[in-house]
Amino acid sequence: MQTFATEAVDWPESATALREQVRALVAEHGERDPVRRANCWTKADPAFSRRLGEAGLLGMTWPREYGGHERSQIERYVVIEELLAAGAPVGAHWIADRQSGPLLLRMGNEELKRRWVPAIARGEAFACIGLSEPNSGSDLASVRTSARRDGDDWVINGQKVWTTGAHVAHFMIALIRSEPGSERQQGLSQFVIPMDAPGVTVKPIIDLTGAHEFNEVFFEDVRLPATALLGEEGNGWKQATAELSLERSGPERYLSSMALFTELVRHAGKHPDQTVRELVGRLAAEAWTLRLMSASVAAKLARGEDPALEATIVKDLGNSYEQAIPELVQAVVEMDLNGEDALARVTAYLLQVSPSFSLRGGTREILKGIIARGLGLR
Amino acid sequence: MSDTRRMLAEMADPLFAELSSSATMERDWARIEELGLPLLLAPETEGGFGGTWEDALVVFRLAGYHALALPLPEAIIAGRAQEGSQEHFLLCAFARGAQIAGALDAALAIAVGYVNERQQFGRPLGKFQAVQQSLATFACEAAAANCAAMGAAQALDRGDATFEVAAAKLRANRAVGVGSTVAHQVHGAIGFTEEYGLHELTKRLWQWRSEFGNDAHWSRVLGELVVARGSEAFWPDLTARTDPTRVD
Repeated sequence: MQTFATEAVDWPESATALREQVRALVAEHGERDPVRRANCWTKADPAFSRRLGEAGLLGMTWPREYGGHERSQIERYVVIEELLAAGAPVGAHWIADRQSGPLLLRMGNEELKRRWVPAIARGEAFACIGLSEPNSGSDLASVRTSARRDGDDWVINGQKVWTTGAHVAHFMIALIRSEPGSERQQGLSQFVIPMDAPGVTVKPIIDLTGAHEFNEVFFEDVRLPATALLGEEGNGWKQATAELSLERSGPERYLSSMALFTELVRHAGKHPDQTVRELVGRLAAEAWTLRLMSASVAAKLARGEDPALEATIVKDLGNSYEQAIPELVQAVVEMDLNGEDALARVTAYLLQVSPSFSLRGGTREILKGIIARGLGLR
Repeated sequence: MSDTRRMLAEMADPLFAELSSSATMERDWARIEELGLPLLLAPETEGGFGGTWEDALVVFRLAGYHALALPLPEAIIAGRAQEGSQEHFLLCAFARGAQIAGALDAALAIAVGYVNERQQFGRPLGKFQAVQQSLATFACEAAAANCAAMGAAQALDRGDATFEVAAAKLRANRAVGVGSTVAHQVHGAIGFTEEYGLHELTKRLWQWRSEFGNDAHWSRVLGELVVARGSEAFWPDLTARTDPTRVD
């Protein structure tokens, strides 16, 4: 049994130059507060996203025809790991650049592609994903939001919940039941819904840190043209689940806490406490391994393979690592969590948000089920 | 996998499987020598394979997978560094990390095979969600140990690899705890018997975790390396280790 077939990642010659470009950009426009640098892919800063667009760092792998830059997947990987390691506020464009753009290019009709893809690459159009619904949670196949035909149009009614970034997004790609009376994975389709369409209402869900990241989104007789259907009618389940590989494999699954690690190393340098240094070593080993694994998945995606199982393993290990860090730091470093010290502030912040790490992008239990299937147990 | 490595695997795998944990020097070492495996890293001009550390990884990993009871990794390393030197210790730590990775994959395979066969409460154990989730956790740990070993091998082929070998051995050591615990748990009492072969793997996993640096040793080495470079250097150092050298 070989659990994870790793192959060497061919880091591009352009990597060094790309890293310098991103580092300079972040130094100029990025975030300096260590707390804001943690979990940065949920921090929206539309101005920073536009700046990245101008610099040609969004839609990097997409065709020039649609505003892309025809760079390689690994070059894109270099850019996103640099942004995350620096804690740049990339939340506004994150979903659009990671998932929605590639999905539109693969499945979208010409009108959808022209309308949204170049704007995403410019850092001007942001996306959200409509999957979960009240009472559906991880059981996505139980969605009830409906799309009904009315002449050439579609009329949408229902509700999505836990929708990340719906309040900054310009459009949603939603999984919706398009065949009345259909069950489970059958009869589902994906639709592209402009957030300013009449009948769309967004209500914030404030999290336990007081931050606004999630939303409830209501659809009341939202009328969409036939061209709003993404891909094939009835093929929504397959399209939506294929997209999850892109969501699960990325370095955001282990780099959310780099800001805390950096502060820990700074602290360890000032206080030659052996336990703290050993913790630095242990976390460094973990981060190094996760980077290898994450990049290896990116390399497989670049070769056109579908590393769904490997991506799931990386997300599960990444989540565990990120949830362990604040707890381990709290256990070995004496600190006042309400104090002004940077290390204490980042630790306090991550202790609060880390429960969400093993929820977003698929719960730990769902991921382990996928891995068990990969082992031939289901 | 390159052709050399595939050839090496095809050569070593059946022999290691046959010799496995009951091999002895007196009886079996000659067969290892016949294949020329101890000279894996020696230059071709000296009758060796001229192999790389990535080639060695294939052999070390398979030696672990089959719990091979012969000092083959030590023999392969013998020509590369003086025994007792720091370099020798580092190379042996790499070998142990790779052996652990192989042994974890083997223990996982045995555990998965067992739960698919063994019926309890009217269905195979593997159909129970709790069992599935434990084995999934094990698979993640085995994957991490395997990737780390590969990363260390690549680093050795590039040059200075103290950081990577330290990280790989530490990561492998940490995986041993979860892996061997789950392997035994899903086997129930059967795994605890002498007649069932799982212990050949788990005994070695526990042994290898101590050899050439335990968790405390390598986390101290790594921690000192990272702290000495300062908080802002960690990420740039990490990327510089893998990026191709810039041609100005």
